[in-house]
Amino acid sequence: MTGIATNDVPARRRLPLLQEAGSALAIAVIGAIGYYLFPDDLAFLTRLIGISFLVLSLDLVTGYCGIATLGHAAQFGVAAYAAGIACVRGVTDPLALLAIGIFAGTLMGLISGALIARFRGLPQLVLSIAVGQLVAALANKLQWLTGGSDGLSGITPGKVFGIYNFDMYSRTAYLFSLAILIIVFVALTRFVRSPFGLMCRAIKDDDLRAKMIGVAVYPRLVLMYGVSGAVAGVGGALTAMSTGVVGLDGVAFERSAEVLVMLVLGGAGHLWGALAGTIIFMIFEHIVAAANPFHWMTLVGLLLILIVVFAPKGLIEPALSLARRLTKGRAS
Amino acid sequence: MIRRTNSILAVALLGLMTDTASADVIKVGVIGTMSGPYALFGANYKMGIDAYIAEHGNKVGNHTVEFIYKDEEGPNPAKSKALAQELIVKDKVQYLAGIYFTPNAMAVAPLLEESKTPLVVLNAATSSIVEKSPYIVRTSFTMWQNTVPAANIAFKNGSKKVAIAVSDYGPGIDAEAAFKKTFETDGGAVVEAIRIPLNTTDFSPIMQRIKSSGADTIFTFLPSGPPTLGFIKAYVDNGLKADGVKLMSTGDVVTEIDLPGIGDSALGMLSTYHYAVSHDSPENKAFLASIVKNGGKVEDVAMTGVAAYDGARVIFKMIEATNGQRDPEKAVAAVKGMKWVSPRGPVSIDPDTRHIRQNVYLRTVTKVDGKLINKESDTVFLDQPDWALSKK
Repeated sequence: MTGIATNDVPARRRLPLLQEAGSALAIAVIGAIGYYLFPDDLAFLTRLIGISFLVLSLDLVTGYCGIATLGHAAQFGVAAYAAGIACVRGVTDPLALLAIGIFAGTLMGLISGALIARFRGLPQLVLSIAVGQLVAALANKLQWLTGGSDGLSGITPGKVFGIYNFDMYSRTAYLFSLAILIIVFVALTRFVRSPFGLMCRAIKDDDLRAKMIGVAVYPRLVLMYGVSGAVAGVGGALTAMSTGVVGLDGVAFERSAEVLVMLVLGGAGHLWGALAGTIIFMIFEHIVAAANPFHWMTLVGLLLILIVVFAPKGLIEPALSLARRLTKGRAS
Repeated sequence: MIRRTNSILAVALLGLMTDTASADVIKVGVIGTMSGPYALFGANYKMGIDAYIAEHGNKVGNHTVEFIYKDEEGPNPAKSKALAQELIVKDKVQYLAGIYFTPNAMAVAPLLEESKTPLVVLNAATSSIVEKSPYIVRTSFTMWQNTVPAANIAFKNGSKKVAIAVSDYGPGIDAEAAFKKTFETDGGAVVEAIRIPLNTTDFSPIMQRIKSSGADTIFTFLPSGPPTLGFIKAYVDNGLKADGVKLMSTGDVVTEIDLPGIGDSALGMLSTYHYAVSHDSPENKAFLASIVKNGGKVEDVAMTGVAAYDGARVIFKMIEATNGQRDPEKAVAAVKGMKWVSPRGPVSIDPDTRHIRQNVYLRTVTKVDGKLINKESDTVFLDQPDWALSKK
């Protein structure tokens, strides 16, 4: 896990906000391609965006802080349930539901962070699984609130800004999610380059040394967990709104494991890596599952093995080094 | 391998080209668990539908019916909704069918009215699903439908004190509620109700609790698979069987697929269910023969196979009634009250609930020619509705 951040110290920017504007533009372009080229697959693309929030959120704690976790779906699921329950009980404004999701996600993030960040290594991993399982068990147990294994259904959010209805083709859900993704991504691009974000990377590279130079490690990690929970909360709330149902899968261990796979695939420690991992994994899965609904999992397994063997640091690393070589070649 | 890749590519291309297919093809999207631990039940959808086509052809009038399969994988409502939407918008299916898990059905339901697409549920067994949209018809069963007869028969057979042990999730809780209500109305007493966490493998403590409760009968529901094997083994090992404590369940616990794994300790176990693979009728024989003719195995047949077989019949009837036009009102109206003889026995679609009415049989695990089967007894509960939805 080490060594990813070392060669990626942000360079001085020539223009303020250039990188942020670039990211926003890139996502908008990719999003527009999805919207115009695949108008029949918007429900799938909306689901993809929902999950990408969770992968980004995981990237914040795993990629930037080096926290190993297999219980990250907890933040996502709690936010989805919070938004869903609020919607069923009468709060239907999408923005209000989003705010509820963010609040619940942050709260859950702070709680799990306070527990998980106390330890390092294996105990941390075990604790993260325990937290995830606890949330999953509660979601199943509190049937009157969450619907248990039948899922929480009947979530019908109102119109976005009072104008755009959540339609069958998921147009509204997709564009709404895409807009939120751009905002969150830009905010995160800034956030990970802030002194706070850089300090988190320092903790990840060597927490002992960070402690020695006087960094309060634990509070920082908990805070980062809170931010990460907020990002996961956005994804949870959006998914609850666009799907209309929240099921136990939202808090399940499989979800946590799957997003970790996506993150590793794309490259931990890079926001674009998280995004690329989600896009590649989910689209690949979507295509092979459509081509062969009976044996597609074998192909997904094969893809993962190939990538781990040939690009152990994720797909973003070879892409970045290629870009570096190109720019260097031009300079000389 | 190259050939395999080619065929996958061909399928993918075919998928892209289906938009241009002639208007005379009526498409039906089937969403089922085609991979993972529940793959066999999804495969049964295909087996059942293929068996129906083998017997009746794939044409209704001059319309050709085409089935498109999608993998719902597990309980994942967001994925199922995306699949349903893709089928409706991209593949332009006129009908949807399938769905193994309840939350997935709940997620698909809101799409139906806007897109005017009827859905024939082939498994998901929570009663309230059919209430989520007027375009939903169900050909499977519900927990209430199969559990109420179990409680009746327990009381009739002289059970006074029952201990209920169910898996702690939706269907288990449904089974507990249905049994408790019926059994207590009949005049019996429930002395212990235990909810077992999913994935429990050691059932000895539960057997001890049942033992000390003084129950004379155990009623259980567990999802089929490893838990079932462990539960029945613990029941025998802890001496409850030897003490004469009876064990009853719904047929989900002793599916024909699991019986070889459970082994002889299941002998004599009572269960109530709507379909036994060994059901003795010409319709069932023909059904199983078609499956074998299509390359399937009788050992792999599960309740989802027969639900899909009957589901195909319902969909064909809908296509016939609407003459291939998209008219969900007419389609659903045409199958309300529809009656036919299924491989499981006589069935009908309840016009009020759109859920299937069927016989529920009392079966005993018996060994015939060295093979364990669920032998149906003469005790048959005729024309059972879903007891949670209707009281008639």
